[in-house]
Amino acid sequence: MWELASVLIGGICTLAIFSFLIKENAVYRSFEHLFIGIAAGFAPVFTIKNFLWPNILAPLLGFGVEYFPDGTVLTPYNSSYLLYIFPLSFGLLYYTIYSKQFGWLAKLVIGLSLGFSAGLGIKGFFAEMVPQIRSSLKPLIVFSAEGISWTSSLSNIVFVGAMTLVFLYFLSTVKNDSLQKGSSSKAARWVMMICFGAFFGSTVMARMALLVERVQFMSGPWFQAVKGLIAGGV
Amino acid sequence: MANAGRRIVYLVIFLAVLLPLVGGIRLPAAPLKAATESFHLVEKLQKKKGRIALVAMDYGPSNYAENGPQAEVVIEHLMRRRIPFVVMTQISQGEGFLEAVPESVASRLMREDPSQRWTYGEDWANIGFRTGLALFIQALAKSNNIATYISKDARGNDLSKLPLMEGVSTISDIDLLIQLTGYIGTFDTYVQFFRRNGVAPTFIHGCTSITIPEAYIYRDSGQLKGILEGVSGAAWYSELLEKTYPKREEDSSRAINTALGISQLAIVLLIFLGNFPIIVRAISRRIR
Repeated sequence: MWELASVLIGGICTLAIFSFLIKENAVYRSFEHLFIGIAAGFAPVFTIKNFLWPNILAPLLGFGVEYFPDGTVLTPYNSSYLLYIFPLSFGLLYYTIYSKQFGWLAKLVIGLSLGFSAGLGIKGFFAEMVPQIRSSLKPLIVFSAEGISWTSSLSNIVFVGAMTLVFLYFLSTVKNDSLQKGSSSKAARWVMMICFGAFFGSTVMARMALLVERVQFMSGPWFQAVKGLIAGGV
Repeated sequence: MANAGRRIVYLVIFLAVLLPLVGGIRLPAAPLKAATESFHLVEKLQKKKGRIALVAMDYGPSNYAENGPQAEVVIEHLMRRRIPFVVMTQISQGEGFLEAVPESVASRLMREDPSQRWTYGEDWANIGFRTGLALFIQALAKSNNIATYISKDARGNDLSKLPLMEGVSTISDIDLLIQLTGYIGTFDTYVQFFRRNGVAPTFIHGCTSITIPEAYIYRDSGQLKGILEGVSGAAWYSELLEKTYPKREEDSSRAINTALGISQLAIVLLIFLGNFPIIVRAISRRIR
């Protein structure tokens, strides 16, 4: 029954959103707000249900303590969970942002978060980028067991050539008209336009995939559910 | 055509999508090298005690159209190869898929061969939605005992008591990481932080069509060993599964891929028709 209801509601929501294709209307707007509300509500609920409660609050409040039927303790309370109070209290200081008098306390939390994120970011940048920079330094002539691999060599030449052109295009620390306005600049623009074209094409493809999935849903499960409902065979 | 209303364009696209789906048209998927590599990576995996695969289904309903079919095919392949795996997500709206996809694939496989069983806890486990993004991924990678660190699965069981987690302690016991997402930020965190002492599991990434060009950079640098390129990647993977397991029931990826291909042809045709009068007018003006 719930499955049928969810299919029917899913179809109605899809039609309401697609009604925008005809023109902007009140039904579309109300469903748009509904979606935003649901999406915004999901994250806090799931964070509390899947993280805060089972990992922090339940052990801290002693909900993990288990007893034998005679009342003796099977799993005793672990007092080290009390240490959770310190980071928890520190995090709660963020909410002092709403107070004029104690608003400065929130800056401590923000400062720590920023420092933490910056540290992680630097570490992450090197872990991610160093292998990519290394792999960008490709040989222009690739040798295989049979001799020169012409396809791989051509691929590497195109790669290195395109990369060099785009680097030169964005070289804004040196004033050089021949670099910034000359034929290399035009070639770099062509390279970037081809790249943007590929990005745009793949974006259209992704949007079409969303449409295909919705049409498949509407023409399949939803259509069957509506047909069943009308025929009274539910 | 240049002056035709946008609603006619919508209608043409809608029909181009609907007709192959309703008419049951199925075109063969185009072979994709990166998806073939992904298939062979899973195919080469051997079931060993204390070794698992991690499937990060980091997508919600907005990316389901592309990441959904990818999840279906890779989970099916892992189940057929009897590789124990753990599913998780960092996207709160994706939690429902963690239960639904492995369950539906397992029941499809059991329908195909009733003598075989796939059970929760032995063949797969669901550790649910995890918050913390980079912090969580880093902590998971650095953990000396993954089961103790995660503590409970999404069904409330002690993870350490599940049979598939027996002998699994650190990231080095994860043979394969399959991460499916359309969010570059979520994908990045695995590349950056899912490693310990320079050791990271073999990484397959299922991306959406938008992120394909970016994903290739990571493949080129060797950070990714395989890619599933949107629905097309899933459809080709599905064909490879069909070739390896001929009794296999068809999944949704080929139907979606066919409709996608036909709709793209319709877009190309519309672009041509839309530009044709403009080009003709420009040429005739030049002649005059």
